[in-house]
Amino acid sequence: MTALYVVLGAIFGFILSRSGAADYNFIQGMFLFTNLQLYGIMGAAVLVGAPGIWLIKQRGRTLFGRTIEIEMKPLHRGNISGGVLFGIGWSLAGMCPGPILVNIGEGKIYALAALAGALTGAGIFGTVYQRLQKPFALPALKVGTGEG
Amino acid sequence: MNLILNDLPPLHWALAGLGIAGITLALLLIGSRRLGISTGFEDVCSLVLPAPYFRRSAVVSGRPWRLPLLCGLVLGGFLSAVLGGGWKPTWALGMFDTAIGFGPAGKLAWMFVAGLFIGFGTRLAGGCTSGHGIFGLANLERPSLITTVTFMAAGIVTTQIVYRVIFPLTGL
Repeated sequence: MTALYVVLGAIFGFILSRSGAADYNFIQGMFLFTNLQLYGIMGAAVLVGAPGIWLIKQRGRTLFGRTIEIEMKPLHRGNISGGVLFGIGWSLAGMCPGPILVNIGEGKIYALAALAGALTGAGIFGTVYQRLQKPFALPALKVGTGEG
Repeated sequence: MNLILNDLPPLHWALAGLGIAGITLALLLIGSRRLGISTGFEDVCSLVLPAPYFRRSAVVSGRPWRLPLLCGLVLGGFLSAVLGGGWKPTWALGMFDTAIGFGPAGKLAWMFVAGLFIGFGTRLAGGCTSGHGIFGLANLERPSLITTVTFMAAGIVTTQIVYRVIFPLTGL
């Protein structure tokens, strides 16, 4: 199974690399409204993904017979404040989390600094989680802010 | 517009969107996994950090599939370069070089700070473009709609300020 996830990741990474989703200029073009490619990609992915997810949930089992269980994301104040911080970071770096890794693979040296920053940021968040729980109305530690 | 990577022409948006939906559905159908990359940062942190947050099962149990997926993303970028004109280390950053023009040290600092926002922000929001923007929206989850609208708006405002006000790019 490990190899299968590497292959799926590689296909995903290849698509992100070649579509502009991991390209600094396309990201800025999206936020400047001068290039609409990435709106098209996200829209198409969601429009095709929605009925697909619904059908797979109806089926209820994976190809290997396991019950399909999807953890729904909890609603909390972190959705908005975290969204603001992430949006600023996405704009500044021109990369969201997946494309940081894709850019490293492509040979973009500065993406290593973005990864170091992202790991540091996630590390700080997890370390101070219990102190953020009250002000941001975050879920119990066991649940966390949501997988994804 | 072509890609920064070897000046390649981009895939058609519909094809790329279909492919990303295909990966999302494959993860669900094969392993009952919900697409999401930023949780992978927590998985990596959990390898070295002792905080209780990184010891919970939601993080630790995801490592066996999420860490290989993350490695695959790096591999996919590498293959994309190798198969598309060749792989070579580069500092090229498109319009950043034109309008902002920082050298390597400045870029590393810029990217590290941006990364801090990304790492802290995605985990506070409970997901990123993939987990909220693709999977969460396609699964009709309200927190994902709220988060996606918020990070898109914040990205739009930030880029408009950077490229129309602070470092005005001619021709915009």
